[in-house]
Amino acid sequence: MAETPEIITVRDLVKTYHLGEVDVPALRGVSLGIRKSDFLVITGRNGSGKSTLLHQLGLLDRPDSGELLLEGEDVTRMQEKKRTSLRLRYLGYIFQEFALAEELTALENVMLPAMMIESVRTCRKRALELLELVGLKGLDKHQPNQLSGGEQQKVAIARSLINDPVVLFADEPTANLDSVAAGEVMNLFTNLNTDHQRTVVMITHEQEETRVGNRLIRLADGVIVDE
Amino acid sequence: MSDERSVTDQPGISLIERKIPFYLISRHIMRGNKWTLSLVIFLMSVAFINLIFINSLFNGIVLAADQQVIATTSGNITLQTSPGQMFIPDAPEVVKKIESTPGVVAASARTLVPAGLLYKGIQGSFQIMAVDPSQERTTTIISRKMMSGAYLSDSDTDAIVIGRQIAGGKGVEMNATSFKGAHAGDKVLFTMNGQSRLLRIKGIFYTKYFEADRQAFISNRTLEAMQPSYAGEATTVIVKTQKKGDEGPIIARLKKTVPGGQFITWKEASGLMKSVTSSFLTINALLTSVGFIIAAVVIFIIIYVDISNKRRQIGIFRAIGIKSYLVGSTYILQSTIYSMVGVAIGSAIFFGIIIPYFKVHPFKIPLGDVSLYVDYVDYLWRAIVVIVVSILAGMLPAILATRKPILDEIAGR
Repeated sequence: MAETPEIITVRDLVKTYHLGEVDVPALRGVSLGIRKSDFLVITGRNGSGKSTLLHQLGLLDRPDSGELLLEGEDVTRMQEKKRTSLRLRYLGYIFQEFALAEELTALENVMLPAMMIESVRTCRKRALELLELVGLKGLDKHQPNQLSGGEQQKVAIARSLINDPVVLFADEPTANLDSVAAGEVMNLFTNLNTDHQRTVVMITHEQEETRVGNRLIRLADGVIVDE
Repeated sequence: MSDERSVTDQPGISLIERKIPFYLISRHIMRGNKWTLSLVIFLMSVAFINLIFINSLFNGIVLAADQQVIATTSGNITLQTSPGQMFIPDAPEVVKKIESTPGVVAASARTLVPAGLLYKGIQGSFQIMAVDPSQERTTTIISRKMMSGAYLSDSDTDAIVIGRQIAGGKGVEMNATSFKGAHAGDKVLFTMNGQSRLLRIKGIFYTKYFEADRQAFISNRTLEAMQPSYAGEATTVIVKTQKKGDEGPIIARLKKTVPGGQFITWKEASGLMKSVTSSFLTINALLTSVGFIIAAVVIFIIIYVDISNKRRQIGIFRAIGIKSYLVGSTYILQSTIYSMVGVAIGSAIFFGIIIPYFKVHPFKIPLGDVSLYVDYVDYLWRAIVVIVVSILAGMLPAILATRKPILDEIAGR
């Protein structure tokens, strides 16, 4: 069977942080490809460059050199306006610390990105479906401070799905959760990948979470050392 | 959905996305910290009240000064003697002509009397006017400001009314140069051109305007009884018009009625008061500028702190694809709403509490009782400026926040 084309192609990505007079290389020539329905887990020790790589893939930062292609199109030097539009329509991003707007309810948090594109009524319908999908039916009117950490992270996952993204990026999504909530969130990612053919790229510290994906990359000192 | 999308699609600005700032702000107002919101709006209101209070106070002072000058000393219009002349001849006829001029309510001929007063060994040289009491009653307010005794009548030939600053007494501002406690019914020795006459203090008036309260009045009959040559003459005629501000056209008409008459407006006649009010206007302009700067800085700090506390949220909104201009607009809209509500509440407090309070408890200054006076055009300008400053104050941090790298915003760097 022929391989599906790469959704994301990374070529020789380099990123160095400048902390005062000290240069800290975070990525030193990373190349990889991500195909539809991949569940790519990126792991590595603190400072290995995994978060930096995810920020690059999620278009939250720009590399010093190298190329990042999204569906074959180079997005590294693309205008910020276009990159914002791609983050809205193509990519879903789940942060480590939930990153919900405190003044919005669960439903409103999920709806927000879709409201850029569609009417409130359409967004509301889809957001309710997604809250049900992530197991939060009936909690739509709750504000983040009325939800547990696991529930907040599920709201963030529902939000990342609202515009039907091509790839989901998850930055250590269980780092602030207890083991039960972490297990639920991991199951949710697995279901999204297996049952809904979602492409997922996740970084994690946890050894057991490295087994949920169908691909595993290990980073050390800004380079891929193992796949 | 992804089948219809292309990475190369040009992101435009759609009408649909413009609801985002309104949506976020409505939630912020409904669910944000009520104490913080109340405090911000309270500070906005105070900044606005500060801006309109000072201005209204100075407007009130200037207005009070103008009204006192008109009502007690110069009328709206003053007819002076012609150059080289000591008197206006045939004053009763001139008054009649003036009173028949459209727009004129009343006129009173006054004669400045070069006389001295002696009371219990205190010799004083004050401004003494001989008047027709009936004309004076309809032209000035002095007859209605008697604090003791009564005003002159046309038949009085041995009476004088004096201002509070001449009578003197405890608590009187110019007591040192006064009779230090003269009362109605006391006698004063009136001396003019070597002739003396004992006059009864018929009344003491108190207009609260120091310049008017340094005057004394006798009737024309009293003057003519001592100096018959003064009969029918006057040194000024003061004219009361229907309303302040219509002096120009009335003077034009008066010049036709009284050819050669030297008419001047109360502004030209106000002399010392002119420089006092001009100083007040300068102080007002200075304090207004300072007030604007303080209001602008207060508003800027409030909004800047508020937005600075939301940097992480701004970063997250941008990270999930909300356009920067919409995020920025949210905070600009927020500062606009804060300022508009602040102006509305500030106005409600000002017009509902502060102005009525000072109407009942006016400031007491030597120009008269001063309450606050609002120039509505000026008020509107100040309200607009506060709102514009707020928008700018919201715009700057919002623009700065949306131009920073997303990751720096999220990390609060």
